[in-house]
Amino acid sequence: MAIRMVLAGEGGQGVQIIANILAESANAEGKEAIYIPNFGVEQRGGVSIAFVQIDDQRINSPKFPKADIVVALSNRAVNRTRQYVDGRTTFIYDNSLVAAAEIGAKVMGIQAVEADPRSQRQTEAVDDSKKRDQVELPGEAANIIGIPANDIAKNELHPRVFNIIVLGTLLKATEVVPLDRIKEAIEEKLGDKFAKNQALRELNYKALDKGMSLVDRLV
Amino acid sequence: MSEKPVTGERRVFMTGNEVCAWAALAAEADIMYGYPITPQTDIMQYWTRLAPKFGRKFLQTEDEISAGFTTIGGVLAGKRAFSATTGPGNVLFQEPMSMAEMMRIPTVVIIPQRGGPSTATVIYSQQEVTMTAFGGNGEGFRIVYSTAGHQDLYDYTIKAFNTAWKYRFPTFVLGDGYQAKMREPLTIYDPAQRGIQMVKTEPLVGLEGTPGRDRPTQYLRNTYNTEEELYEVVMEIARDFEKAAPEIVEWQDFDTDKEMDVLILAHGVVSRSAQGALPLLREQGIRAGHFRPITLRPMPEEQMRRAAAKAKRILVVESAYGQLLKLVQQSLYGLAKPIDTLLRPGAGVTAEEIADQVKEGR
Repeated sequence: MAIRMVLAGEGGQGVQIIANILAESANAEGKEAIYIPNFGVEQRGGVSIAFVQIDDQRINSPKFPKADIVVALSNRAVNRTRQYVDGRTTFIYDNSLVAAAEIGAKVMGIQAVEADPRSQRQTEAVDDSKKRDQVELPGEAANIIGIPANDIAKNELHPRVFNIIVLGTLLKATEVVPLDRIKEAIEEKLGDKFAKNQALRELNYKALDKGMSLVDRLV
Repeated sequence: MSEKPVTGERRVFMTGNEVCAWAALAAEADIMYGYPITPQTDIMQYWTRLAPKFGRKFLQTEDEISAGFTTIGGVLAGKRAFSATTGPGNVLFQEPMSMAEMMRIPTVVIIPQRGGPSTATVIYSQQEVTMTAFGGNGEGFRIVYSTAGHQDLYDYTIKAFNTAWKYRFPTFVLGDGYQAKMREPLTIYDPAQRGIQMVKTEPLVGLEGTPGRDRPTQYLRNTYNTEEELYEVVMEIARDFEKAAPEIVEWQDFDTDKEMDVLILAHGVVSRSAQGALPLLREQGIRAGHFRPITLRPMPEEQMRRAAAKAKRILVVESAYGQLLKLVQQSLYGLAKPIDTLLRPGAGVTAEEIADQVKEGR
C-alpha cells in the first residue's frame, strides 16, 4: 500500500529529521521509499517542508497532489500544507504552537485574513494579535489530531525531543512503519551521541513513548 | 589508497548527488573540477570527502567557464575527468563544451537541472534540455542521457565515461533537482563485476616522440582559416556522430506493443509520472502507452516513430515550455498525429495530472 506524507514546520523544529527517519526505516523494512526535503529559498526563514512516500512497489512521481498524512507544526505550516489535505487525510498538528480558529467559526477567520489591512488597522489600545494569528485548520481532513508536543517537550522532557514526540504520535496513529525499525533508524542517526551519553537514548525513547500515548486510536 | 570504492553489490538509500559521487568513483574517475551551484554542490562535497580515500583528486575553480576548461585540460592529460553544474552555471559551460565538441574531447558533466530562465529556482526543472543538447556555437555533437532516478544516475554516470571515451564526444548526465536532493533506494555495484569494462583513457597531448617521425601528428584545433577547411572538419564530426548514433540511442517503452488511444512522451523524472499514469488510465478504459527517450541527443527517432505510429494521438509532458516538444516534433515529422501537451516549466508533474490531461484531451 502506498502512503504519502507531508511534514512541515519552522526551520529548526526537526521535521526533516522525522521525515528522514521515516523514509530510512521504511527502506530498512525492505519497502520502497522516497524522501524529498524542500531546499528552496524557503529554507532561509520560511516553512521547512518534507515529502515522504512509502510503497511496496516502485514509486513513480516524487511529488503528489494529496497526502494520507499531513503534519503541521506552526501556523504557517498549516497554511503551507493545506493544499495536500483532502477527505482521506489524517492531519496532525501541535495545538500548543498552532493557534487554531474554531473550525465552526470560519467566517471570523476569513474576515480577518481577506480584509484590506489598511482599512482594518487597529489602534494600539486594542490587542487583536491573538485573533489575527489564528489559523483555520483544514476541516475537510478525515481526521484531525491536535497534540501539545511542544509544551510537553519543554515542561516534561527536553525541547530538543519535540520532533520525536510528534514522530511517536504519527506512528501510533498511522502505524506507517514498525516501531522497532524507527528505533533502529534513530540508533543509526544518533548512535554516536548515545554512546557518549546514555541518557540521550532514554530521553529519545521516552519522547517516542510520550508521543504514542497522546493518541489512543488508530486512524 | 587504491582499493576499490565499491565492491560487490549493495542496496543503499541516499541522495542523487551522493549517488553521482559514488558512481564517478566506481567508474574510476580520476579528477573532478567544479564550481559550486545549488542543487549540484553536494556532488562536489561528497566527492571531496570520498575522493582522497581512493587517491582521486579535486580542483575548485574560480567559475564555471574555468571548471569546463579545466575538465577539458584533465581529459587532454589523459585523465577520466568530470564536472557538474546546472542552470546559470550550465550557461557558462557552453563555451568550453563547444570546444570539446570541436576537438572531440570526452568530457563528462552531470547536470541536475534547476529552474530557469536566469537564477529562477534552485529546486527543479527540465529547462536545460535545449542548452545541454544543443548549447554553444556548434551543432550539438554531444551525448545526453536523461535519468529518471537514482539507479539511472548510478548506471548512466558510469556509462557516460565509457560513451565519452569510446566515441569522443562530450557527454552529459542530465538529472534534475528532485533527483539530486531526494533519497531513494538503489543498488550500487562494482562495474567490473557486472562485466562493464571501463574504456581506457589516454593523453591527447604531450605524447612521446617527435610528431611526424615517431608518431602521427596530433591535430587538436578549434581555429580554422578557411571556410572549406572548417566545412570539412565539421562534416567529418557530423558523419562520425550520425554513424555512432544508432549504437548510442537508448529508450524505454511501456504498453506500446498494441494500438493506443494515446502515447505519452516524457523524459527524465517525468517519465515516472507517465508510468504511474498508465494504470490510472487503464482503469478508465483508455489504452495508453508511454515512450521515454533516455538519450535526448542523439534522439531514438526511429523507435519513437514506431511507437507513435500505433497511437491515435500523442501527449508530450515535460517540466519545460516545449523543449522536449521541439525534439519530438522533429522526430515525428511527417507522421500525421495530433500532439497534445502538458507543459509545466519549472514545476513537477504528477501521475494524476497526466491522467487528467489525457482525459481532457480526448
